[in-house]
Amino acid sequence: MTSPVSVSGLTKIFHDESRGEVRAVDGIDFECKGGEIFGLLGANGAGKTTTLRMLATILLPSGGHATLMGHDVAAEPEAARHSLGFYSASTALYPRLTPRETLDFFARINGFPSDRVNERVTALVARFGLGDYADARVDKLSQGMKQKVSIARTVVHDPPILIFDEPTVGLDVLNAIEMRNVIAEFRAEGKTIIFSTHIMNEAEKLCDRIAIIHRGRIHACDTLAGLREATGHHYLEDIFVYYVEQANGH
Amino acid sequence: MRSGPSVIRTLYANELRMVLRDRRTIMMAVVLPVLVMPVMLFASHWTSSRREKTLEETTYSYAVTGSEAGAARSLVDATRARLSTNAGKAPAAFSFREAAVKEPAAALERRGIDFYLDAVPGEEAVRSAERQRAKAKPPSVGGGAAGGATEEIDDSELATPGAPSIRMVFRADRDVSRTGFRKMRDALRGTRDQQRAALLAARGFPVEPAAVAAIVERNVATEGQVAGLTLGRMLTLMLLAFILSGGAAVATDSLAGEKERGTLETLLATAASRVDIVVAKHLVILTVALTITLIQVANFLLYIGFKLIPASAGFSAAVPPQVALLLLVLYLPLAALVSSVLLLTSGHARSYKEAQLYFFPIFLLGMVPALAPFLPGLTLRSAIVLVPVANLSVAVKEILIGAFDWPMIAVSWVVTALAAVWASRLAVRALSTERLTTGAEADEVDAKGGPALFSRHVLRWFAVMWAVVFAVAVNMPADTDIRIQIVINLVVVFFGATVLMIRRYRLDVREVLALRPVKPVVWLAVIAGAPASLFVGVGVFKLASLFVPVPPKMLESFGQALLPSNIPAWQAVALLSILPGIFEEITFRGALLYGLRGRLHPAGVALVVGLVFGLFHVALFRLAPTAALGVMLAAVTMMTGSIFPAMLWHAVNNGLALALAELKYPLAESGAGQQLAALAILAAAFWLVYRNRTPYPGLRPWRRPSSS
Repeated sequence: MTSPVSVSGLTKIFHDESRGEVRAVDGIDFECKGGEIFGLLGANGAGKTTTLRMLATILLPSGGHATLMGHDVAAEPEAARHSLGFYSASTALYPRLTPRETLDFFARINGFPSDRVNERVTALVARFGLGDYADARVDKLSQGMKQKVSIARTVVHDPPILIFDEPTVGLDVLNAIEMRNVIAEFRAEGKTIIFSTHIMNEAEKLCDRIAIIHRGRIHACDTLAGLREATGHHYLEDIFVYYVEQANGH
Repeated sequence: MRSGPSVIRTLYANELRMVLRDRRTIMMAVVLPVLVMPVMLFASHWTSSRREKTLEETTYSYAVTGSEAGAARSLVDATRARLSTNAGKAPAAFSFREAAVKEPAAALERRGIDFYLDAVPGEEAVRSAERQRAKAKPPSVGGGAAGGATEEIDDSELATPGAPSIRMVFRADRDVSRTGFRKMRDALRGTRDQQRAALLAARGFPVEPAAVAAIVERNVATEGQVAGLTLGRMLTLMLLAFILSGGAAVATDSLAGEKERGTLETLLATAASRVDIVVAKHLVILTVALTITLIQVANFLLYIGFKLIPASAGFSAAVPPQVALLLLVLYLPLAALVSSVLLLTSGHARSYKEAQLYFFPIFLLGMVPALAPFLPGLTLRSAIVLVPVANLSVAVKEILIGAFDWPMIAVSWVVTALAAVWASRLAVRALSTERLTTGAEADEVDAKGGPALFSRHVLRWFAVMWAVVFAVAVNMPADTDIRIQIVINLVVVFFGATVLMIRRYRLDVREVLALRPVKPVVWLAVIAGAPASLFVGVGVFKLASLFVPVPPKMLESFGQALLPSNIPAWQAVALLSILPGIFEEITFRGALLYGLRGRLHPAGVALVVGLVFGLFHVALFRLAPTAALGVMLAAVTMMTGSIFPAMLWHAVNNGLALALAELKYPLAESGAGQQLAALAILAAAFWLVYRNRTPYPGLRPWRRPSSS
């Protein structure tokens, strides 16, 4: 059986007027198993977001392949997205809808069976404690509440694969902890999760396997224990620096 | 995978819900159109009636000057006396007061008086008239005097030595001065006519002088039609302004706004297809545009039809309910076209601010075609019928004055509807590219340029070229040498633009111009096919004229313009046969076909190349036959992979037409038998080309490959 997420030789080239051809992602390969959190660890500009946006079919790959639940992201983008819940700091909510309307809308356009939409929305409202605010407009909600609505929005159609692109950026400590707890809960439910971050601590605590990405290439991909063994360093920060320096030719 | 009507419905309902919750959008899209029109109607009625009342109640002050002031005063006195008695009718108002001023010209300048009468002896008036004539330019054809100063009584031609002459001086830039002058002028003329009649009667003239060759004015247009002209000129322009402003508010929010807020990325990561998303957004903007259209039509029906606003007399007659319904149907494609353009514009912007920046020039440019009804003498039965928006605005004007040219109205509707469909497809395709949805600076095609980018831009180039050719044709003086016009079009516009395209997109000249050898047997097919295509073209023309009849006079004058007798035969052959064969082929079967080759099905490429070629032959009646020829030439080029057969075909076709015209052969009267024979020869020629085909590279397959 193929892995829920399979990436091979994935490449994205941008053409920038001042810099010319930029290989934002340069032939990366990885696979994610069901029920694991796969971490993409890299500095800003390393190619994490571009990779995840290609997986979400927001960007078209310049080369290589990626499949979500067996559907090629370039050839069958709608089918690939059907299996996916995508969350990033830049995926905002509609300010003029209420949380209930938001969940209802995203369940329906993601193809959740319409006779079960109400039941699903009610369950998510209860799970994320949105009850008192479920019928207030999103633009009236606090940042923490919006974050909860956003997570509920990501999983409303019960997709097998979830992508979280730097989900804790801009959150305070308590909200960041809550985000990590929720992601761990999704793993327990058997979801395949791709989690990108530049925060070592987060990757250490949450990820089953970590891929270190730098300048568009994956330089290592293993469990934390495996990475420790390969580099001889204990802390992820040191492991990360080790690979980056190696990549930079030091 | 989810796609199709139910997703579009969900997206549409969601978009509409958000639009309805945005006060700013509702204000721009609904409240403004609801309120502004009645307010404007009220205001215009109020100001015009107030102005009329004021002018009616004014007592105009004037001065009299000159050596013959006495004569002028006695004429004024006689007029006052005549109007106060007024032969059995109610005495007419004569509200003038003479002001005692020393320098009337200065008094007029500082508004001390409204006008003055400068009475001089006839001799002086004659001299003054001669001086004027010496200074003036020779009279232009049909040139009437224009401007305020020339509106003064200008009987100087009639000035007679020994009799006083009165010059009236006023300022046309002041309402009161102009109105006072006119009233006084008409009153004085009335008195003068009466005095003249009395003199003639005293000398034994048998009848009232005015009864000799009496001129009777009779306006056969109804009040409704006259009012319809004013309304018809304005209606599309105003509607367009409202659709643009209301639609822009929604479009900005719908795409640029979503990008700025980050919700577009959320939406793009869902299972809905890009096409569904764009279609739903388009439908929302269209809904708003149609709502605005409905509101405007309802405004006219309610406020004017039911006389809720005392509009000018006749306005209600101009818009009976069935006409309002017709207008609504006519405006449907207009609303669709505008919404596509707005969506596309909004998609190009990355933020609200940027979208607003783009909308300003779109507004200005969008209004230009709606100004067409203001062009004097422009009727729907002209090339304007092929210009989207402009055609509908002219159609609406004609409908409101009661002229229903149904075939042309239908053509206008179809042309604008096709433009709307095209713009809508363009919007869907453009917004499906990641450049627009993600706000990245440029996609790969943009950055690389070259043939792929040329394919994307080719129709824009031809649109600009068409505008240039149209502008040249319209602005060139009627007596310009036809040779100059042909050379400008062929060499400067067509060839120049082709060279520019090749340079701009760094294209391979041999590829673009399809400079490839062909099998010898193809030449045989060309020699047989070209004359046959000429006769088939005549058949196409006859078929087309069943729908768009062409007056024979128009054809005749066109033929003369195209082939003036003073041009030597060798020049006629060069200009009308050889040069078109070379330059038009380079442009249309070269650059245009190359740009379109991979974008459409081969049949679509041939049709579009033919249609664009037809459109460049500005006169409407030439569209069908030239488009048919264009399709044939495109087909030959695609089957042979070379431009040379089309060049020869085109030159032979035109050369033969020229020779037959020279020999006075009645080509237009060729019978159905001849045309059927020509059709058979043409089919044989195409069969020969097809059998020996060496296809044009890069075309789409004729049949879609079956997927396994």
